[in-house]
Amino acid sequence: MVCYVGKCCTHGEVQSELKSLIPDAGLRRRMSRVVKMAVSTAVESLGGVAEIEQVDAILTATGWGCLADSEKFLHNLITEQEQLLNPTPFIQSTFNTVGGQIALLGHNHGYNMTYVNRGHSFEDALLDGMMRLADGESKRILLGAFDELTPTVERITERMGWWRNHQKGEGAAFMTLTAEREAESVARVVKLDFLREELSEAELRSRYALSEETMIRCCDEKEVPFYPTFAATRFVEAVRCIEKGAKEVLLYNKCMGDNPTVMLLQWLG
Amino acid sequence: MRIAVSGLGVVSALGVGVERNFAALAAEQTGVSPAPSLLETSHRLPVGELQLTNEELHALCGVPFSEHLSRTALLGLLAVREAMKDARLPQGLRVGLVSATSVGGMDLTEHFFRSFVEDDTTGRLRDVKMHDCAASTEVIATYCGIKGYRTTISTACSSSANAILLGMKLLRHHLLDAVVVGGTDALSAFTLNGFQSLMILDSEPSRPFDASRRGLNLGEGAGYVVLQREGELSHEPYCYVAGAANSNDAHHQTASSEEGEGAYRAMLGALQAGGVAPSEVDYINVHGTGTGNNDLSEGRAMCRLFGDEMPLFSSTKGFTGHTLAAAGGIEAVFSVLSIARGVVYANLRFREPIPEHGLCPVAHHRTACEIRTVLSNSFGFGGNCSSVLFTK
Repeated sequence: MVCYVGKCCTHGEVQSELKSLIPDAGLRRRMSRVVKMAVSTAVESLGGVAEIEQVDAILTATGWGCLADSEKFLHNLITEQEQLLNPTPFIQSTFNTVGGQIALLGHNHGYNMTYVNRGHSFEDALLDGMMRLADGESKRILLGAFDELTPTVERITERMGWWRNHQKGEGAAFMTLTAEREAESVARVVKLDFLREELSEAELRSRYALSEETMIRCCDEKEVPFYPTFAATRFVEAVRCIEKGAKEVLLYNKCMGDNPTVMLLQWLG
Repeated sequence: MRIAVSGLGVVSALGVGVERNFAALAAEQTGVSPAPSLLETSHRLPVGELQLTNEELHALCGVPFSEHLSRTALLGLLAVREAMKDARLPQGLRVGLVSATSVGGMDLTEHFFRSFVEDDTTGRLRDVKMHDCAASTEVIATYCGIKGYRTTISTACSSSANAILLGMKLLRHHLLDAVVVGGTDALSAFTLNGFQSLMILDSEPSRPFDASRRGLNLGEGAGYVVLQREGELSHEPYCYVAGAANSNDAHHQTASSEEGEGAYRAMLGALQAGGVAPSEVDYINVHGTGTGNNDLSEGRAMCRLFGDEMPLFSSTKGFTGHTLAAAGGIEAVFSVLSIARGVVYANLRFREPIPEHGLCPVAHHRTACEIRTVLSNSFGFGGNCSSVLFTK
């Protein structure tokens, strides 16, 4: 299976104003921070709200989901002793809120799926996307991932000792995938593997017959932010490397103790 | 390539195991009780609660007792273990798991949060380690010896149907030889209060597709089926999964569109994927939650698709309550049994059709039916609509 990567964007790269990315004021007002973060990144990656109609599937991935809303509803439930609760945080707390809100914003009736599987949620969504493109079920897919770090999770994970060895972080990244090479295509994904064991750099180079030029990027180094779907942001960074002239980038993701995954991206020549 | 169903496993308020559930369905005995007896809540609302404590569930699962294993994982473990035993998978297969959940380890998180909100240095950390959705999937895979690809889907109440859909693709692409698909969700104060805050919980036992319906009852449970490629089974399959489809209603975060656009597209998509005409459908296990909105919208979508040739249909949520992410898995097991045993389930407490569409579900259990084709509907928040087509 091979697929082509078109436009993509990380949350850090978003330039447009929130109002233009999420024009519906009512929707925008009810969105929590992470939902705004993810939806705005998705719309920016597509190049505008009108483009949402042009994708035939929306795939999202998140390890933690909409934490702030879950926390808020849980907090209210406990402090208000289960009485007269505001439903909005409950409504917005479901893991597929971002996928649903993008569909709602762009009146998109297509396939809409959400993977919530720790460190390889993004790769699971990518696998689904690549199968859909290979089967001809989709021609153009919006794929993305998001995770937020709330003060509560920061505190809990601090107590778990996470931040002694990792950088705190959060983020969102979205991209379009197509089955065929198009004018906007910038890279292709030629390999997506779910490994059963860890591999060293030398083992990766020999197993995937990589040239000396191939860059290997890990998603769980000490210097990079630590959150479940950082691999999606790393993926967009790899695309940027290819845009700047790299021929091949291998992403190796062993985030959160899961079995490692391998994604191999290539320039289009 | 046809995808066959080779194993079934289910746990619900009706009890543990396929036979216990089937017997209650056939006897028209509901699992919905007037109020929760195990769940810690002040609400006195009807729920489909499995009357087994976590200690009892551990014993049934045959795992050492731990206060840190979520109820969601325990329910899932019971159902997956039954499904795998039933499938009699030979050694050497690449077996995977696609599990759905919407609450994950929320029962333990609630426990943690009660002390954490008072003092953020308190609350046992082991109680939040199972909060994320994948935690239950990993526990199930570990205890059931599932070593192949596994993932977790969470699209609210359509999650399990989507797990079935993905499982089919994983087999067709030869990424696995057998895959256990379905979902699990335990009752939690979080979801009970959530649906209560939306004012869609009925204070009486729910009445799906009835003119007097007032809302849903929450339930808990797990339902899984084992899928394999046709011709690779060690025994006769129960039936086949001919197709599945997902579509977004793109109308509202929680409510369904008046005409049930997403529901219509999901049902049509599943039929098209399976190459089956609407007139060939014998039975629909409808989503039928018992809310004013769902049953009106789903019924309208059915009218649009089936016209005057409405198949037999019923909602089994009057028996189990609405088990959220597990619903599509539990109802997949019921749908498979409808074909394999030639039965159609009762839609409990139905008296008068909804005036806007006038549809009448099957009111009482029927046996000796020739059921060749069944649609199973699951719709969720975020406009997420899915339908799965089972054929003989």
